Amino acid sequence: MTETTEPSSTPRSLSPRVRWAVPAVAAVAVAGAFVAPPLLASAGAEGLPDVTPAELISSVAAAQPVPMSGTLVYTARLGLPEIPFGEVGGADPIALLGGSSTLRVWTDGTERSRVSLLGSVSEYSVVRDGAEAWTYSSADEEVVHYALSAEDQARYDALAEQARAGTLPEVAGGLPTPDEVAGHVLAQAEQFSSVTLDAELTVAGRDAYQLVVTPKADAETLIARTVVAVDAETSTPLRVQVWSTQDADAPALEIGFTDVAFEAPDDAVLAFSAPADASVEDVEVPLPSAADLAQVPSAKDAQELPPGVTVTGTGWESVTEITGLDVANLVAGDPAALTSVPGAGKTFGSESAQDLIEEFAPTDENGQHGVPDLDTSALYDQLTTEVPEGRLLSSSLLSVLVTTDGRVLAGAVPADTLRGMA
Amino acid sequence: MSHAEVLDGPVAGTSTAPLSTARRRGAWSRLMRSELRLVFGRRRNQVLLAGLAAVPVLLGTVLFVTQDSALGGQGPGFVGRVTGNGLFLVVAALFLCLPFLLPLTIGIASGDAVAGEASAGTLRYLLTVPVSRTRLLGVKALGALAFAGAAVLAIAVMAFVTGAAYFGLDDVALLSGSTIPLGTGIGRMAGVVAYVALSMTGLVAVGLFLSTLTEVPVGAMAATVVVAIVSAVLDTLPQLSAIHGGLLTHHWLDFAEFLRVEVGWDVLAQGLAVQGAWVVLFGALAWSRFTTADVSS
Amino acid sequence: MTGTTVATGTAPAASSDQLPAAGGVPGDHDLAVRTDGLTKRFRSGQVAVDGLGLHVPRGSVYGFLGPNGSGKTTTIRMLLGLVRPTSGRAWLLDGAMPEAGATVLPRVGALVEGPAFHPYLTGRANLVRLDASDATADPRTSRRRTEDALERVGLSAAAAKPYRQYSLGMKQRLGLAAALLRPRELLVLDEPTNGLDPQGTREVRHLVRELADAGTTVLVSSHLLAEIEQVCTHIGIMSRGRLLLQGERQALTDRGTAHVGVTTSLAHVGAVAEVLTGLGLTEVTTDGPTLRALLASTPPEKISAAIVHAGLDLVGLEVTRPSLEQVFVALTGEGFDVAR
Repeated sequence: MTETTEPSSTPRSLSPRVRWAVPAVAAVAVAGAFVAPPLLASAGAEGLPDVTPAELISSVAAAQPVPMSGTLVYTARLGLPEIPFGEVGGADPIALLGGSSTLRVWTDGTERSRVSLLGSVSEYSVVRDGAEAWTYSSADEEVVHYALSAEDQARYDALAEQARAGTLPEVAGGLPTPDEVAGHVLAQAEQFSSVTLDAELTVAGRDAYQLVVTPKADAETLIARTVVAVDAETSTPLRVQVWSTQDADAPALEIGFTDVAFEAPDDAVLAFSAPADASVEDVEVPLPSAADLAQVPSAKDAQELPPGVTVTGTGWESVTEITGLDVANLVAGDPAALTSVPGAGKTFGSESAQDLIEEFAPTDENGQHGVPDLDTSALYDQLTTEVPEGRLLSSSLLSVLVTTDGRVLAGAVPADTLRGMA
Repeated sequence: MSHAEVLDGPVAGTSTAPLSTARRRGAWSRLMRSELRLVFGRRRNQVLLAGLAAVPVLLGTVLFVTQDSALGGQGPGFVGRVTGNGLFLVVAALFLCLPFLLPLTIGIASGDAVAGEASAGTLRYLLTVPVSRTRLLGVKALGALAFAGAAVLAIAVMAFVTGAAYFGLDDVALLSGSTIPLGTGIGRMAGVVAYVALSMTGLVAVGLFLSTLTEVPVGAMAATVVVAIVSAVLDTLPQLSAIHGGLLTHHWLDFAEFLRVEVGWDVLAQGLAVQGAWVVLFGALAWSRFTTADVSS
Repeated sequence: MTGTTVATGTAPAASSDQLPAAGGVPGDHDLAVRTDGLTKRFRSGQVAVDGLGLHVPRGSVYGFLGPNGSGKTTTIRMLLGLVRPTSGRAWLLDGAMPEAGATVLPRVGALVEGPAFHPYLTGRANLVRLDASDATADPRTSRRRTEDALERVGLSAAAAKPYRQYSLGMKQRLGLAAALLRPRELLVLDEPTNGLDPQGTREVRHLVRELADAGTTVLVSSHLLAEIEQVCTHIGIMSRGRLLLQGERQALTDRGTAHVGVTTSLAHVGAVAEVLTGLGLTEVTTDGPTLRALLASTPPEKISAAIVHAGLDLVGLEVTRPSLEQVFVALTGEGFDVAR
């Protein structure tokens, strides 16, 4: 029987083998569509002008804050015991301890900004508008409103007005120029580290330089190196990675933009008014006096430490020791124990640092804002291990030893170093 | 059989009678309508839709009754917000149905699509009508998708009505703490509903593929639900974080983007792209399997 | 054992076992169904159909016979494009299957392995669904087609009942109605009498004959020989996946050895035996006034003439031909319902 005598002119339909090739092709296409873009995105940037580390740091210091918005992904691979942080209490800063979190940031480059920590169906927002700030947790429907007293607010407004007019009173010693700052920072850093530039790359679709700070080879520390990717155009840091000596494959800490746009955000995003049903708590924040501000540049040199806190070692090998801490009650969430925390009431050197501490560590300021829905005692037990000297928390970047006699030793050093000191 | 009516009527065909085998226009939509009638006319499916529609009514009633008690205003996800604004019942009800009830519904609709016809034996008669296998699979897929959409819509519409009746509608306080006007809020809720419905497409494709593997519809239905549950379980294992982004269920909760101050369209697009990938992959698998399989039921 | 009785003097017109020789043109226009070396081996390794060469002439009523499990249904599934052959080809109404299914199948009505419908739909709704699935059917006449088909099988009164409430016979009728929704050139009826009572079986036979008279080719399969043997013009017999023989029914039964039985008066038994032997008949036996002998090529009328000519009593003369069942047993050495 020859094929030519077939009575039908209908073409032979696809063979089963050909048909089964279709899903195979589809699989390849899908894999190509999903896997290829990240590979392409990380390809190196070409043709950026050469810079030195000092020039790069100088440009960062000189950079004017610009309006921008973007998505940040923060990943911690601290090697801590697994804890179900995921949806414990919705979007909550505690999630930053482990795993991966997504943040969105918006800023107009001056006084207004919003940072949102995204939970899968929740959000923790921090909105700053001039001297005012709000935090809002969608899971608890709680608003905390940070504001200055009326008196301080007036002073703040006056200062802001002066700043706009360019007549801000000279701070003692004058503000250092970016080049001076860069030189200072570099000199400080090179005392204990080598500062180099790595290959240029692309972060969030933007060409970037990479600044690498590597501890000196003889330093006994957990930190292998710190890598900062700086946007070539705006000198905005786009990504920071901290690599541990324990893991050469992935950074222990990483925060970087996956998506960024240097445009002024929508006004609606930067505005905040408490939702009708939310509970609102007002917190009055003291404004540092002009005298306080004047001290800021010198504070660094003074190494002014709260009582009970001592630092031994230098640079990467520094170990901080705190004595007289009631750790057991602290983790149990006893507000009274907070008084044992050295410097609990201390105002931090800069306003933005103060904001940041308030934003992401609400427990520091007032006890009732403890981590909700988490049994902190159990968490403490889970995170730490029993050692002869006390309880030890060992992560890939930081070791903390809580001794049985109430001392806390912490540093970016191997756990054995702390145990030796205890 | 009844009478000896030889040669009369159109039935007594002769080999010389002209018999058009040309495809007629609208044949496809005719088959599609027939499929939709079959899916939505079936008692079991109607009961299923009614059951899903009852979820928001039940939830709304419980919240209404307990709103002044100590438990008022509490609950996971969006449940706590419902008493303040009935519009949130839409998203709260969808949120509650997402982990299990919706996958179950999708499993029943898509798992039954081909396997149901095979087990009833009607598949062989459809194919000898003839209906081309590709066409039949397409119609079955659309039928299952339509049912999935109807399921989501049933929940949403009943939730909207119930929420409005019990708690009234109000301006919407977003997850970001911003408040948007009611009109915009309803638009955002419509976005949530659309996204949730589209999030089901990947599971429909998986169910359809499983449905082509067996003549036992219950097996395909159960397997589909298991796929959704396994996917959700894998999504919680941090050791597998590398594959989380590609999991079928990973982006299901991204509907929350509609409730943020700035809708993350890229996040939504990513979620839909993942669904699209599952649809392409399992759609292709289903097609290969169905167009090459021997129909022996 | 009931043999078919053929009246004396009806000599078969043709005597070939096989229709057009194997060298004929495939899909010869005279054939409604043709297969060449059609083989199906299941994944389990079981060979359900083995090198089948089926030839169903146009206009014939082809009885496709064989015990349960002999491969009839698998063959029919391959003909209709439901099952893909492992090797070999099949043509349906000149179209190569399964590729030409879209153009060929609308002209083919089929009942495969019993009726199957959605149990929760009414009989009418089930037919409407099948009609709606037919891309070549005119939607404007859908209603008439379904009502005519229901009427034709006597289901009009029960058309509004859900299918699950139907009796086995009603289900079978609905299956036939589906096959008859449109005028067909070929009907493939797989076990159409399954589950029917004797009355229903008669009705099916009647319907088949009626359709055949109108020019439709009918391929009807059955594992019960006697049920459909009478309406068939052609027969194919399958056993264990192979086609044992096929051809015109008449030729098949003639192929076996016919006997003649002569009844005379007791006094003439001896003389009649001599006449029969004289005519060259062998294996002459006597049972009272009746003699039996192997009827070779001797025409029966020659026997009666010789007896009368010899002046002997001729009370009766009967030619007994073997039934298909006997032919089957002779071919396979086993009973029809035993073979698996």
